Amino acid sequence: MTDASGTDIKFMSQVISLDYAIRTAPVNREFGHNMQEGRVTGHKCPECGRVYVPPKGFCPICVVETSKADEVQVEDRGVVTSWTVLTPIQYHGQKERDDYALASILLDGASGTVGQQRLLDVELPEIRMGMRVEAVWAPEEERGADDLRGWGFGSAITGFKPTGEPDAGPEIYEEHQL
Amino acid sequence: MREVAIVSFAQAPSQAAVDETETQMLYPVITAAIERSGLARRDIGFTCSGSADYLAGAPFAFVSNLEATGAWPPISESHVEMDGAFALYEAWVRLQHGDVDTALVFSSGVSSRGNLREILCLQNDPYYLMPLWADHVSLAALQARALLDAGLAKESDLAEVAARARRNAQANPNAQVRGDVTADELLSEPYLVAPLRPSDCPPVSDGAAAAVLMAGDRVGEVCERPAWIRGIDHRVDPHYPGVRDLTISASASLAAANAGVANAPIEVAEVAAAFSHEELILRDALGLGDDVDVNPSGGALAANPIMVSGLIRIGEAFRQINENGKHRTLGHATSGPCLQQNLVCVLEGNAW
Repeated sequence: MTDASGTDIKFMSQVISLDYAIRTAPVNREFGHNMQEGRVTGHKCPECGRVYVPPKGFCPICVVETSKADEVQVEDRGVVTSWTVLTPIQYHGQKERDDYALASILLDGASGTVGQQRLLDVELPEIRMGMRVEAVWAPEEERGADDLRGWGFGSAITGFKPTGEPDAGPEIYEEHQL
Repeated sequence: MREVAIVSFAQAPSQAAVDETETQMLYPVITAAIERSGLARRDIGFTCSGSADYLAGAPFAFVSNLEATGAWPPISESHVEMDGAFALYEAWVRLQHGDVDTALVFSSGVSSRGNLREILCLQNDPYYLMPLWADHVSLAALQARALLDAGLAKESDLAEVAARARRNAQANPNAQVRGDVTADELLSEPYLVAPLRPSDCPPVSDGAAAAVLMAGDRVGEVCERPAWIRGIDHRVDPHYPGVRDLTISASASLAAANAGVANAPIEVAEVAAAFSHEELILRDALGLGDDVDVNPSGGALAANPIMVSGLIRIGEAFRQINENGKHRTLGHATSGPCLQQNLVCVLEGNAW
């Protein structure tokens, strides 16, 4: 096959775009409404007591269902358990220009981490396991209640910044590598 | 070969769109299948699942689905990016190893999230068919046209299949499309993609199903009427539909021969004919005579959760033995365009 100028075609691009409409599950919608009000909530398993943030509607360890009745509020602050510094490649559509960090955060009162949280107001070499951070909330009118798919905080929390408190010890984060 | 039986089955009602996450949809289905098996969750030796991340619109969606199994302490598991019927095949092979006796099979699909006529194009070859966006309904219509042109069926034959599916589905609480309709009524519909009318095509469905398999002497302890897997085989036709005779299904015939379909009479066959003409092709390919009750559940024309439809066919074939006292039934699953891949599973009840 040749192109208009008679040159052999060795590559052709085939750009595919698929659109999905994902319904926000009732459990996630409830979580999203709470986030709009500035409250981070989870479900506490009635058997083992683990607190899942965001809630799943069940405990995957005990295999029991959880509901609104099991809802508890956790703190909007916690500990960095792990992080990655990303150097953005300038592909089409990339909005990032500078290196930035995404971290897993173990919120005070939650039993597991929430991953891929943007770290703000911190020099990248300063980031460490055990660093105490607090949520930076988006303005209330920018918090969407239906952008939650069972993980993350959606648009309600833009990132986490250091509190300046002393670091948490390894006993806090050693069980949470991710 | 080690004798393996299906001892329980459960499914979610097929729906046009579920509100819950895929994992939440699976949770009660898996729990029901395990409870009906009489086994404890920790007694499951192997778990195999089937789903497609392209349907969910999320990478690694199959990993979070595992949470519905209660995968702690860690379990031995595998996943196929295929219908759950193929996961059942893998579980059957795994049980042949002899070191584990029980397996959980489950699958789920949320077709409602995207446009299947775009998404399923991605299963075509990337060079010739994908750039044309040759969608699955259009390819099915080509196959139906081939059947009509060869004089092997009339449009009224297709309508008879579609009408019977809707009538049978009236007794199936898990079906999505049902109604007391006649072929003549359906023939008055305009074409969707000629020669197929909307009723010749499956609904878009979200759904989930699960089954428990067991090998060896313990089967009798947990299940009064198990369905023994007497033969199971899957075969593929060439990927490119243009090199096939679309009026037949050579791979389905081969799978049926290897599964021993003809060794004894089949009473009930549940075949994954998502389009009405596919049932006619499969009846021939599988050697099913007029005395075989085909798709009493309404089949895939009445509910077609992709990635689950085949496992449901095997589950319905199991229920015919387990609940309705039939002795020899058949479950069929398919994948790919125009019945490209076919799995045949022959089930039998306990010997009289």
